[in-house]
Amino acid sequence: MVFITTEEILETVRMIQAENLDVRAVTMGISLYDCAARNVDDVCRRVYKKILARGWRLVPVALELQDKYGVPIVNRRISVTPIAQVVAGDDPEGYVKVAHALDAAAQEIGVDFIGGFSALVQKGFTRGDAALIEAVPQAIAETERVCSSVNVASTRAGINMDAVLKMSDVLLAVARATAERDSIGAAKIVTFCNVPEDNPFMAGAVHGAGEPEVSINVAISGPGVIRNVVAGNPDIPFTELADLIKRTTFKITRVGELVAREASEALGAQMGIIDLSLAPSPKVGDSVAEILESMGLERVGAPGSTAALALLNDAVKKGGTMATSSTGGLSGAFIPVSEDAGMARAAEEGVLTIEKLEAMTAVCSLGLDMIVVPGDISRDCLAGMIADVMAIGMINGKTTGARLIPAIGKKVGDQVKLGGLFGAGPVMPVSRAGNEAFIARGGRIPAPLQSLTN
Amino acid sequence: MRTTVIVTALGPDRHGLLAAVAGTIAAQNANVDDVSQTVANGMFTMIMFVSFDETETTMLELQQALAGTGEEVGLQIHVQHENIFKYMHRI
Repeated sequence: MVFITTEEILETVRMIQAENLDVRAVTMGISLYDCAARNVDDVCRRVYKKILARGWRLVPVALELQDKYGVPIVNRRISVTPIAQVVAGDDPEGYVKVAHALDAAAQEIGVDFIGGFSALVQKGFTRGDAALIEAVPQAIAETERVCSSVNVASTRAGINMDAVLKMSDVLLAVARATAERDSIGAAKIVTFCNVPEDNPFMAGAVHGAGEPEVSINVAISGPGVIRNVVAGNPDIPFTELADLIKRTTFKITRVGELVAREASEALGAQMGIIDLSLAPSPKVGDSVAEILESMGLERVGAPGSTAALALLNDAVKKGGTMATSSTGGLSGAFIPVSEDAGMARAAEEGVLTIEKLEAMTAVCSLGLDMIVVPGDISRDCLAGMIADVMAIGMINGKTTGARLIPAIGKKVGDQVKLGGLFGAGPVMPVSRAGNEAFIARGGRIPAPLQSLTN
Repeated sequence: MRTTVIVTALGPDRHGLLAAVAGTIAAQNANVDDVSQTVANGMFTMIMFVSFDETETTMLELQQALAGTGEEVGLQIHVQHENIFKYMHRI
């Protein structure tokens, strides 16, 4: 028997009971390449059948593991092959039908979200890509569980600015179509640079081209645990603080590793990756903002916030990589606004601005995430914001993403309640300076040089 | 197959808490392999290493029985497979 001390046992119990340690998501990735067919109705039938055949035990197995280890597994989700790579044809109606098939399969299995209504267009559009993007507003508005992501940029290809503008139009169309629900549809759409193929987090989860038939990817969490460690050591220098965060993240990640191993074995799937992201939720004490504030910032957004996030993000990765050899996904700290009560509070107070969040994007694991912007924002302004986030990812060789919610009928300062894990947040001010001529150029911003990196 | 779980019990101290928890474990045909218990500032904290044969009881049955005991005597009782502690604290 391995000797475990009383302190270690009580530490684990405290992390789970008092500090919200949980496994944020167990996501099953399912390849749908073999569902391709000439007729879209056949594709829908195959997609539905395959997702059920491979995924029907996902929820019971996750619940079993939750009981066995006493750790909440908050979300069970499915990601699939980017649909634009499965469905041939240029009729958006066909893609909407597939979205309904995905939605029905997710409902039948009992998962809250299914990701993969996606396309990769960083270098250009196939006819299918264009049709899928055109279908996104209707697909998202008419389904409950389907999430969409489009990769418009990469370090190797540059930024497809035509796609950026299309995504701006898509977001505005989805926001209008779901206006009576605070434009919530836009929260289910991510625009990516350097999209990872194995991300377990929604709304950006896809099961990429290099992935196996079926895999299990696990998203850890635990901002509350890290926050308590940081808050409990207010006077130690940064090197010691980084060590403490590393040690704590190690423990958190080991829980993810254990769940991933057992879930993949029980489900007959290949163990995929552990995503080392610290994912906040709107629950009190489950906030990345509070970690940064515990480091000594009065509010997140204060000068030093980017440095604090850089330290946190790096320490989380270092601790996590010691704990598992299967890292992947987004792996870093998320800084969503509406999903993190601390971020939302700082935004309401005007301390945290979109410009500061853009700077923090350079050192976090996603970017401008769950940010509510005025409903009358112009397509060019929205496109410019997306392009800025893509540029940070492209130049720095990292994943960045934008999840912006134009709240139709709302103005700066209004509170928007998106509900559940999406949380609530204020409508944040955006720059009104014009950029129409810049966006109107179209084409592609070329891939950056990979040397001379200053 | 023999399974080892760790039972932690926390709550305000009173007479007979250890006996109540141990009695429930015995009634489930499970064995207490090790126990440590302290009372500090009136708070009772107990950790038990408990093993059982899966042909005689299951983790779920043990969890349900101990949840009932916890409600009766005012303890928060958690039953967790030992592997989570091994994974978190050892390589």
